[in-house]
Amino acid sequence: MTNIPMEAGLLLAGILFTLGLISVLIRRNIIFMLISVEIMLNAAGLAFIVAATRWAQPDGQVMFIFILTMAAAEVSVGLALILQLHHQLKTLDSDAANKMFG
Amino acid sequence: MSQIDFHYLMPLLILTGGALLTMLVVAIKRNHKIIYVVTALSLIGSFLYLFELRGLQRHVVEPLFVIDGFAILYIGLTLLTSLVISMMSYAYFEQREERKEEYYILILLATLGACTLVISKHFASLFLGLEVLSVSLYALISYLRMRERSDEAGIKYLILAAVSSAFLLFGMALVYASTGTMTFEGIAASIASAYDLPLLMLTGFGMMIIGVGFKLSVVPFHMWTPDVYEGAPAPVTAFIATVSKGGMLGLLIRLFMQVEGFRFQTLVLIFTIVAIASMFAGNLLALMQRNVKRILAYSSISHLGYLLVAFLAGNELGVEAITFYLVAYFITTVGAFGVVTMLSDSEGDAEQLEDYRGLLWRRPWTAAVFTAMLLSLAGIPLTAGFVGKFYILAAGVNTQLWLLVAMLVLNSVIGLYYYIKLIAVMFQQPEAGREPVERLRPSILLASAGTLAVLALLLLYIGVYPTGLVNLIEGLISPATMVQNPSAPLLEAAK
Repeated sequence: MTNIPMEAGLLLAGILFTLGLISVLIRRNIIFMLISVEIMLNAAGLAFIVAATRWAQPDGQVMFIFILTMAAAEVSVGLALILQLHHQLKTLDSDAANKMFG
Repeated sequence: MSQIDFHYLMPLLILTGGALLTMLVVAIKRNHKIIYVVTALSLIGSFLYLFELRGLQRHVVEPLFVIDGFAILYIGLTLLTSLVISMMSYAYFEQREERKEEYYILILLATLGACTLVISKHFASLFLGLEVLSVSLYALISYLRMRERSDEAGIKYLILAAVSSAFLLFGMALVYASTGTMTFEGIAASIASAYDLPLLMLTGFGMMIIGVGFKLSVVPFHMWTPDVYEGAPAPVTAFIATVSKGGMLGLLIRLFMQVEGFRFQTLVLIFTIVAIASMFAGNLLALMQRNVKRILAYSSISHLGYLLVAFLAGNELGVEAITFYLVAYFITTVGAFGVVTMLSDSEGDAEQLEDYRGLLWRRPWTAAVFTAMLLSLAGIPLTAGFVGKFYILAAGVNTQLWLLVAMLVLNSVIGLYYYIKLIAVMFQQPEAGREPVERLRPSILLASAGTLAVLALLLLYIGVYPTGLVNLIEGLISPATMVQNPSAPLLEAAK
């Protein structure tokens, strides 16, 4: 286990993060955008764990638990908002929810 | 945690208790007035407790928090602003939503988040404060459920804020990976001898700047600002423009002073570009707007650009200038949005330029206050905004940031145009038959009107006699210098 270099772990986290970022930018369904944001947050969590393994400290895992908690809170607010939005617009297309611009 | 730690954290604990109490009261009896009084009392109680801590030594609650003069100053500013905003919210929400009580819980929690930000000295507390602030803001922005744009603004802010938090977290993880510590002074110690940042650290700091820049709404992370400002209820907009940005700026100052970030050319370059871009984009885009809330949104972007000039000065004078400017900016922004709040009726917020046509003839006092606020935003003498801008210029000249100073002066001139345009609209003769119906009993508006009057007087007082505020800021910041081991080379490094 210990002979996985830190760079490899960080690279994996970076790839996951980039995938999440790209998918936030190209997805048009709001629920999928929320999922992509979750991927980005969890990629950051993975990076914390990799970093903590390098220094053999528990701090990174503590941060990961913080991130999980925060993501849960964020998603619950987000889903409530999405329900509200669906009531009004009858769609989850994020382009429909773009009345203000310019 | 020892007893003395509790003593120092008491302002935050009072806020937490206030939020819990409000929640319980809502569960027992829904009464707008009671909730409002409980909120105001917990904010005031928390503020009064700061006087207990004022003369004391800097205290560190290992490893998360540090309470020093700087923190007390910023917490006090945050609390007072929240108090003023909740004063003005009462009349606003009285005529709107049927369930208006939860608003106050969210305001208290968001204030708690901002206060946590300014006292944190560890990534974990930074993250915690930021998220308490953000998650409360998502709900606050979309609080008026019946308005379509409210939901849109809420979901936009939620997605973008979550992306920016992810950037911030990944940046923190990278910094942690290369230093092995998450406390600010630990990071400072590990790069104290370095002349240049290692690549991992540089990437980490860059990603953290993205996260911080989003909250501060500086260019190029400003896209959400006008939409959210427009969609959110007017008091919440005032809150986003002041408390949320002030908390983040306080944190940024603490972090950068501690790690002496100005030694590194790359970081200075990034902030210089961001500052200049914010000033120009904010002012130029504001010229094209016809919506008052959007004009104020773009104006806030440019004001954050001005603040970054003082931030880049990076010495004690710079910190004092930022703090002074923040006080002036808070007073003016809350005042301006307070006027918008007061003029709004139950249909929607008063945001179109048309709503302000002939305001001077219809409601002379409100128009006078709004004029004073706009002049202060533009930086006209005799207002707090002028002294603040002067202070920033002094800080910039002192560290020879000539380019930034020149840009600031140029942008002040551009900014003047749209503020004056707004004032001119108010002075025009009103069109016949556009008399809005007064729906409220005047007694409800009394709290808002009184608050606005106090803000306007404060604005003029600071503009005419700034020494009092300057002494207060110097007294609180200087003895407890924010850096753990005060170091002289900051001044030279900033050049």
